[in-house]
Amino acid sequence: MSTMLTMPKLEMSMQEGTLAEWVVADGAEVKEGDVIYLLETDKTSREIEAPASGKLVQKAEAGEVYECGTEIGEIV
Amino acid sequence: MEQSNLAIEPEVLKAIYGQMARIRAVDKAIQAGLSAGKFMFTYWPMTGQECIPATISQLISKDDYMITTYRGIHDQVAKGVDLYGMFAEALGREDGVNKGKGGSPHISDPSSGSMVTTAIVGAGAPIANGLAISAKERGENRVTIVNFGDGATSIGAVHEAMNLAGAWKLPVIFLCQNNEWGEYTPIPVYTSSPNFYGRAEALGFKGVQLDGNDPASFYKGMKEVIEHVRGGNGPVFVEAKTFRMGPHAGVGDNYNVDKDYLKTKKEQAPVAKTRQLLIDAGICSEDELASLEAAAAKEVDDAIAKALESTVTPATETLTDVFANVDDVPRRGHYPSRPAEGDLPSETKTMSMAEAVLDAQHIAMKKNPEVFILGEDVGDPHGGVFGTNKGLQTEFGNTRVRPTPIAEQAIIGAALGSSIAGMSPIAEIMFTDFFGVCIDQVYNHAAKQRYMSGSATHAPMTIRVQAGGGMGGFGAQHSQSMEAWLLHSPGLKVVYPSNPVDAKGLLTSCINDPDPCIMIESMMLLYTLKGEVPVDEYSIPLGVAKVVREGTDVTLISYGWMLNQALAAAEELAKEGISAEVVDLRSLMPIDYHRVLESVKKTGRAIVVHAAVEFCGYGAEIASTINEELWDKLKAPATRIGAAYAPIAYSNAIEFSQVPGSAHIVARAKDVVKS
Ligand SMILES: Cc1ncc(C[n+]2csc(CCOP(=O)(O)OP(=O)(O)O)c2C)c(N)n1
Repeated sequence: MSTMLTMPKLEMSMQEGTLAEWVVADGAEVKEGDVIYLLETDKTSREIEAPASGKLVQKAEAGEVYECGTEIGEIV
Repeated sequence: MEQSNLAIEPEVLKAIYGQMARIRAVDKAIQAGLSAGKFMFTYWPMTGQECIPATISQLISKDDYMITTYRGIHDQVAKGVDLYGMFAEALGREDGVNKGKGGSPHISDPSSGSMVTTAIVGAGAPIANGLAISAKERGENRVTIVNFGDGATSIGAVHEAMNLAGAWKLPVIFLCQNNEWGEYTPIPVYTSSPNFYGRAEALGFKGVQLDGNDPASFYKGMKEVIEHVRGGNGPVFVEAKTFRMGPHAGVGDNYNVDKDYLKTKKEQAPVAKTRQLLIDAGICSEDELASLEAAAAKEVDDAIAKALESTVTPATETLTDVFANVDDVPRRGHYPSRPAEGDLPSETKTMSMAEAVLDAQHIAMKKNPEVFILGEDVGDPHGGVFGTNKGLQTEFGNTRVRPTPIAEQAIIGAALGSSIAGMSPIAEIMFTDFFGVCIDQVYNHAAKQRYMSGSATHAPMTIRVQAGGGMGGFGAQHSQSMEAWLLHSPGLKVVYPSNPVDAKGLLTSCINDPDPCIMIESMMLLYTLKGEVPVDEYSIPLGVAKVVREGTDVTLISYGWMLNQALAAAEELAKEGISAEVVDLRSLMPIDYHRVLESVKKTGRAIVVHAAVEFCGYGAEIASTINEELWDKLKAPATRIGAAYAPIAYSNAIEFSQVPGSAHIVARAKDVVKS
């Protein structure tokens, strides 16, 4: 079962976020709880952890702003 | 084995860790799901505060009551709220413990004792007192624990509730989870108090400060606290020191905190520390703990997977759970005809409205031991500032008639909490103008408890309130008509009698009604208007208006003391050849549109009259409905008369002209009939 990664909505006021940096390379294996990317919002920058273990498939460029809910990757 | 050094029984420590592991698994799963975008809802992480409810869970049972906040998912888990129902609720699904209508910040699950969850800071404390009153009066051995944050200690509701609980020695524990932060503001910024537990001592009861991150000492401390409270020794305020490791809302770290400080706090965080202790003390093996954690993770994963399959609560549910009976919910095109009261008991006595109110309360209190009265000065010899309870304290005692501190939030909250537990309280608030200081308990809590809980709980309480106005001399803060505020808050029933007979019958209905009811009593009528009131019990059904004078040319629709102005106007109009029908609404919510529309169909003209400000008033609502429904039958547009848009003035000359009187009504009616 694969796990879709979307730009999360972390707070009521959050509409979009910046995928600042992929910490894990495309195609690399990750363990649940590993930090996989850095997220920046108008309030803060956060490390986002892998919600599952598997192979990370990046589907969005780092450095760009994405609306909440946009698919940015997958763990397969 | 180092076990002998442990200040706690090994089995208890293990059980506490078992709850911590469940809480941790829930927190992790939510944060992971939100981060991955698997689901979206607002989450207020409780990471770092797991030890508090995990420990308490070993000292209380589901029979004990709990109230918590939006951040209280850890409290819910440890209290025993079913995880499937909890996740389904957080996701707004049909199978949620509250049908998806409250969401995670409003969980109400009586089966586990998690009674109320509020998203209004500090507002749980007054309600907790009410739950505690019910336990005490019923001789139950329950304690009520109300959780709130350190920030909540600044709000009036908490102070009012603490003072009342102290005065009445209620079996309630004020559990302040001091996580050092109130949203984005840390403690030294918002208070110069050196601590919070000291405030209890100032109010005459016990306060303790405990390390909420250390299961052994917290268990010992809470055991004493719970025994003290269960033993009938009154409330305790517990300041449980902990730390909020997450942000106010969302996922990840508390980004407001200095990084080094956060690092230290993380090292002291209770879950990992307790785990290590279990291993070091030889109580559990690594394998045992791993399998315990795996079981917790599986319980959570299963609950989430199942919850995601539950149907999103559909829009067809919009109007259910507002009131017990969906027919009472006002909506366009739905004008149910409710049966009127029929013949009332024949034996009567001349009574003022104050005496009629007293009589209704007396009968209700004799009949049902769970009816009780609370409010300022309600005890004898005064029996309330308006004497509407005279003799009741003498007859029924100090717990059935409870004079309160001057603290309207505490009064309404206590009534609300006891009603959630099934009692039938009557709270008296002296003047409608004082709704301003307790409106949160009224419109955010009493009104919404049924809806937010998907009818898992409801609030069968009554509020009696007196309205000044029309007499002159009470000024801007004791003369207002605030009914539109109440009517604009879905979930409240409101009655406003114009005479003693209706006052007694409507109050009886309110006391027996399953929903929160407010009776507005006109001060002017309380003593001046006498009537022949049946002495036995009877009810005037809610939502039933009455044609009090028949006519053919225009319908005057009114209620309360203004109804008498409308009647006087009808008398005047008759002299000028205009036949006015007068409809007394009696109930403002539910409203009897059926009888209103029937009357206007006949007369073809309508004027709604009230003492409240005309602008955005109830009259506008009713006139608009009449115009929409009877457009083709009207001889003139339905209209309304209310007070001028100004505070009520002290000058009689202003007051008597700013609020409509019979002369205004006559003039308007003549215009309407002429047009
Ligand atoms: C009456 C009220 N005022 C403000 C808010 C906005 N608000 C939500 S949480 C919060 C902070 C509360 O802090 P605290 O009582 O310490 O509880 P914690 O969130 O730390 O558990 C505030 C100000 C609210 N919900 N209710």
